[in-house]
Amino acid sequence: MTRLFKDERLGYVASRLLTTVLIVFGAMVLLFALTALVPGDPAKSLLGPQASPELAKRFIAEMGLDQPLHVRLWRFFGAVLTGNLGVDVISGKPVVQLVASVLPYTVILTFSAIGLSVLIGVPLGIHAATHRGSASDTILAFVSVAFIAVPSFVIAIFLLLIFAIWLDWLPVLGTSRSGEFLDEARRMILPTLALAAGWIGFIARLVRSSMLEVLGEPYIRTARAYGLSERLITYKYALKNACIPTIAILGLGIGRLLGGAVLVEIVFARPGLGRLVYEAVSERNFPVVQGAVLVVVVLFVVVNLIVDLSYSAIDPRIRRSSGQGAGA
Amino acid sequence: MSITIDRRTFLAGTATAALTAAWGGPALAQQGPRDKITVRIDRDLANLDPAYRTGPWDANVCRVVYQRLMKQKVNSAELELDAAEKIDQLSPTEIGFTLKPGLMFTDGYGEMTAEDVKFSFERMGLPPKEGQKESPYKADWGGLKAVEVTGKYTGKIVLEKPRANIFTTVIGDVSGCIVSKAAVEKLGADYATKPVGTGPYRLTAIERQRGATLTRNPAYKGPAPALQEIAIRFISDPRTTDLALRSGEIDFAILAPAVAEPLKSVAGLTVSEQPSIAYVWLGMNVEKGPLADLKVRQAIRLGLDVDQMLAAGYNGKAPRLNTLLPPQIFGHWKEAPVYKRNVAEAKKLLAEAGVSGLKLKLTILNQPAYQNMALVARALLAEIGVTIEVDAQEGGTYWNAGNGDSGKNLDLFLLRFNGKHDPNFIMQWFVSGQTGTWNWQRWQNKDYDALFAAAAVELDPAKRGEMVVKAQQLMDQSAAFVWLTNEVNVLVHRSWLKPAGVPGWLDWQYDSWGLGA
Repeated sequence: MTRLFKDERLGYVASRLLTTVLIVFGAMVLLFALTALVPGDPAKSLLGPQASPELAKRFIAEMGLDQPLHVRLWRFFGAVLTGNLGVDVISGKPVVQLVASVLPYTVILTFSAIGLSVLIGVPLGIHAATHRGSASDTILAFVSVAFIAVPSFVIAIFLLLIFAIWLDWLPVLGTSRSGEFLDEARRMILPTLALAAGWIGFIARLVRSSMLEVLGEPYIRTARAYGLSERLITYKYALKNACIPTIAILGLGIGRLLGGAVLVEIVFARPGLGRLVYEAVSERNFPVVQGAVLVVVVLFVVVNLIVDLSYSAIDPRIRRSSGQGAGA
Repeated sequence: MSITIDRRTFLAGTATAALTAAWGGPALAQQGPRDKITVRIDRDLANLDPAYRTGPWDANVCRVVYQRLMKQKVNSAELELDAAEKIDQLSPTEIGFTLKPGLMFTDGYGEMTAEDVKFSFERMGLPPKEGQKESPYKADWGGLKAVEVTGKYTGKIVLEKPRANIFTTVIGDVSGCIVSKAAVEKLGADYATKPVGTGPYRLTAIERQRGATLTRNPAYKGPAPALQEIAIRFISDPRTTDLALRSGEIDFAILAPAVAEPLKSVAGLTVSEQPSIAYVWLGMNVEKGPLADLKVRQAIRLGLDVDQMLAAGYNGKAPRLNTLLPPQIFGHWKEAPVYKRNVAEAKKLLAEAGVSGLKLKLTILNQPAYQNMALVARALLAEIGVTIEVDAQEGGTYWNAGNGDSGKNLDLFLLRFNGKHDPNFIMQWFVSGQTGTWNWQRWQNKDYDALFAAAAVELDPAKRGEMVVKAQQLMDQSAAFVWLTNEVNVLVHRSWLKPAGVPGWLDWQYDSWGLGA
């Protein structure tokens, strides 16, 4: 029985890993196809009027853009396997180095935003579910939808106006001049809030609806009939099952924020992966685009793999149904 | 009265005190003059090797990290000696120089010698050696034959033919920066972010997407700059820049007139307008359909109202330009015609050309100033019977719109180029050889080409000036250009800060920035 369980679990992990590799490969093929289709000559965008046609030609060759798509793709994956993401044509530095310099900013911001969303969103969702139809539920519904609907960069601008300009409590820029820990932490507050706001609303709504569904299940009625406390039922029995969709969404959320916090990064003048990709696309700096997007894609699928595995651990039904599906 | 402090109260009190101390808050806005300032740049620093710099933002750092044989005087385009003790035009094609002794490179790379000068200039101007990359600024040193070293501090720059702008755009500019040969050879690609120079500042920190820090170089032989430290912050968003100026987190920025206007009322900030040498115009593709007819182009020129377009694009703050060269540039055509809108005449010209129901596309960069001007142009041209479709493109696509065969499809476009204090630099993009590259008008005129070539080698300023004016007259006759503005730079800074820059404010002189009352 234990052996069967282990095999089942290994099989599930293996199938998810295979899917992950295929997703990364597919994403990179798509990216290469897009870079071939997007209008704009990278040599002209990067070198400007100073460049002679000969230099532009050499530049294109340096980026490997004179090669057919399949050759470029093959070379790229060959280099990636040796840990080489290419060279930034502007600075001449390895793309790995560029990505490594901004990645910590992105990771810290993403996890602090998602962490804050969970810290606030989950209790709000539980409160709304356990006080269904009350005034606080109505207010929370209104505020949550408002947070979801307003883009994070708009919230960022409002936060800046309120906390940095009117109240003068927090700084405008998202990174410090000195690099001191406390100063950096203080500068994290507004970007984190701006990114987290929408997710707080989203998680609160999601937890509320999941909780309401779970609270109507027969086993909850049975627990009540046994005279268990409402607190125990809510937090031990209902929340565990209700949090599965939330965990799935968190995985997507982390993945999205890793490369998609670009507008908040721009508003707070904060380094980040999203901003790196955005600027590289504007400049048609393809080696940086390819390397940075690969990192984003890998992080995205790895986070979602971890999430998948974690909720399959919470709910064995998911593992089993997946195993049956694979075998069918 | 007795005060009892239990463990919980003590911990809470300590935490509150620590938080309060750590909080600090941005109190810089209220502070007086400081010798450590923060300035905003709108593009990221990428390569501080002068041979591979990516634009003015890199160049402005190069100006103070390195020395040149000559440099611009404070707030002037005029040159004075910098690393050179003496510089002589030995013949039309030979320039002799003598370096000041004792100019020490940072990071222990020793004294600057004539070998460093030879290395710096030849690596840009001559074909690259095996394994080296060609400099995108090779054209700056076009016509360089060699740099001959005649002594430890002396040498000779030898050109293939005379060059009128060799001092203003090359020797005295960023392409004339003198790098350490030993450092470049040792650091390789790392030199891009670890520049080694003899200038008034040294680079003490640089980080992608954040910016850099310049610190006074104690080994610099010239007068010490007033500012001990300059933090250069990359902030792309103008609104964030506005807020950071208000909160005191940055001390200097250049902004568009519309963004800078509200900052005039902020206490402690000074807002001043400086004419730029970047030039903006509406161009017409002279090869495309009805636009090949001179009368159609003249009609469009008369159908537009430049002042109205500038009011929409720049809040009316930008000066009107009537010819290619802005007034600050040598060879500016003072008597250039100032075209007034004349709807009747425009309609008459279109009728003479036999054109009716004309539909054209106006290609622009997707930035507010151009979008506003394009909308005004559309409304104005509608009145003469020309329908305009505005095509706003993002940078990567837009800057390739005139390239190669795709450039043949352009109709009208709004274009902006940065200038330098030299007429040939500005004129070079309109020669026939630039068709399909930067000559988006596809206007080809042999007389213009000849005047451009002659002015490049003419060392007599009077004769050169005449040639340059004639070239501008030919552009005017073509009616392929509707000159709009040489823009305005709005400088916003702490009132106690006295920034300095070469007129046009593309080139900043950090080493001459001072502190006022």
